[in-house]
Amino acid sequence: MPVYYLEFLVVALGLVMLMVDAFAKLEDKRSLARFGILGLGVVFLLLFLVEAPVSTEGAIWKFYSPADKLSLFFKGLALLTTILVLVMAVDYAPVVVAQTANPEPGAHPQSGLGEFFALPVFACAGLMWMASANNLVSIFVSLETVSITFYILVAYLRRNVGSLEAGVKYLILGALSTGFLVYGFAWLFGVTGSMELPAIAEALAKPGVNTTAALFAFALILIALAFKLGAAPFHLWIPDVYQGAPTPITAFLSVGSKAAGAIVTLRLVSPFLASPVLVAKVTTVLVAVAILTLLIGNLAALSQRNFKRLLGYSSVGHSGFLLMALASAPRDSADAMLPSTAIAFYLGAYLLMTLLAFLVLTSLRPVIAGEDLDAYRGLAKRSPFLAAALLVSMASLAGIPLTAGFFGKFFAFKMALDAGQWALLGVGLVAAAAGFYYYLKIAVSMYFSEPAKDSDAAAIRVNPLAGTAMGVLMVLIVLAGVAPGVIVGLFS
Amino acid sequence: MELTLNHFLFVSGALFAIGLAGVLVRRNLLIIFMCLELMLAAANLTLVAFSRYHLVDGQPAYDAHVLLFFIITVAAAEVAVGLAIIVALFRSKETTDVTQVSTMKY
Repeated sequence: MPVYYLEFLVVALGLVMLMVDAFAKLEDKRSLARFGILGLGVVFLLLFLVEAPVSTEGAIWKFYSPADKLSLFFKGLALLTTILVLVMAVDYAPVVVAQTANPEPGAHPQSGLGEFFALPVFACAGLMWMASANNLVSIFVSLETVSITFYILVAYLRRNVGSLEAGVKYLILGALSTGFLVYGFAWLFGVTGSMELPAIAEALAKPGVNTTAALFAFALILIALAFKLGAAPFHLWIPDVYQGAPTPITAFLSVGSKAAGAIVTLRLVSPFLASPVLVAKVTTVLVAVAILTLLIGNLAALSQRNFKRLLGYSSVGHSGFLLMALASAPRDSADAMLPSTAIAFYLGAYLLMTLLAFLVLTSLRPVIAGEDLDAYRGLAKRSPFLAAALLVSMASLAGIPLTAGFFGKFFAFKMALDAGQWALLGVGLVAAAAGFYYYLKIAVSMYFSEPAKDSDAAAIRVNPLAGTAMGVLMVLIVLAGVAPGVIVGLFS
Repeated sequence: MELTLNHFLFVSGALFAIGLAGVLVRRNLLIIFMCLELMLAAANLTLVAFSRYHLVDGQPAYDAHVLLFFIITVAAAEVAVGLAIIVALFRSKETTDVTQVSTMKY
């Protein structure tokens, strides 16, 4: 099966969901989400049936790179993320209904819920396409498919001021980053005379390349990518949008948007890093951005009281580690570890641990009204299973050995060490230490504090679907922490 | 005077700078949105100028035009979604002033 069928199937699935929502009079629209989960699960299995194309002559291969393992790995990440987001969305449905349903008599009591399940599927198609995009045009279009879908999803709770505010902030800053991105693309085209990434890499590596214009294009593109990745100093939207958006969408943003930003960054920055005339300056800029991101993300997270905001700053911090791996790309040795390996592993680990945290967050929503960290005190006595899940997630985010997060950080540090980036290494250690404090603070308060008096232990119910997902994620986190080779084998 | 590539790049650079300044300085969401469109227009002008500069067999490099048409399409989609969000915000807060949209802080 040719690899691009996967995106067609996902788009078709989204369209079918919209049609069913519009024309079949569903009693309970949550069955639509279960249908979407099933469909995406089937596409996930089809990933293993993809065959390499016989010839790469056709027009599509100018826009779409033939199946390599890395892009298939990222497609798998996108599918897995979307499946788990839909699992969370089922739990979250009552909130969406309360904030969006049409109050007029005769309207469906869940009107407005169907699109909440269908839109993530379209975003998933965009994310999957982005993993294979090898042309400025297809990178731009797939990135915008995802961004525009996210604008709608973030502002989805249209009677909730927080969600609208987050939506407006995300919209303005997202559109601003699009402006920088296309202007950068225009200059990159001007410098190289091509839209295709392999030809761009070739043109940039020539000694006669106009370095001023090339660096100008690089700066514009880096600004746009920093917005998408949530790298400092363009991370300001992250905490507000994470706090205001519906929780499943926050999870989708933090994993999907970051994976997308990371793969696009990898693809767009690699030609600059491969150019002997540009590599020194480009590396300096990347190191500076990585240091700033590591410091701001991890130090600002120390004082947060809101769980979603905390995860927002933590996601900025994790972007710092991704950039650390990218900035330490080896210059010449062929057998050294590639940034793509470290970044792909980090993102895989990040997906597992972040989605686990958000699954716990959505499951607790009916009993814990706000997202204040104090509400998690003594959780272990009220629900040992959820507390254990959150403990595994926090341990992995902090990077404790025997969890997936440890090897994610380990690979990033190893690359910086091999490249001799001592400043980056030092700042990374400080950032990781700060991470230990604010992640484990939550774990300690869950296990060693007394729950508030008015809390009701019986009220916590875990939906079997979400419970299974949490169990699987916990197993995978530990598995990847014990045998990282299993995950590395998936993409190299 | 003959028009060269540089003239187009200066004009598009100025457009981009005006758009960026508008986004940073203005307070009204609709005007900010217009300024964002101005930045995209600047990118389009740059693309057309460079496509004339990079001739392929005596013809402009049409790859750039492909990207340009996609930018126009995407900008239209972005405006459709953006205006819907701004209308929803206006319904609940009765304002399009960005300084009034700041309940979440640190």
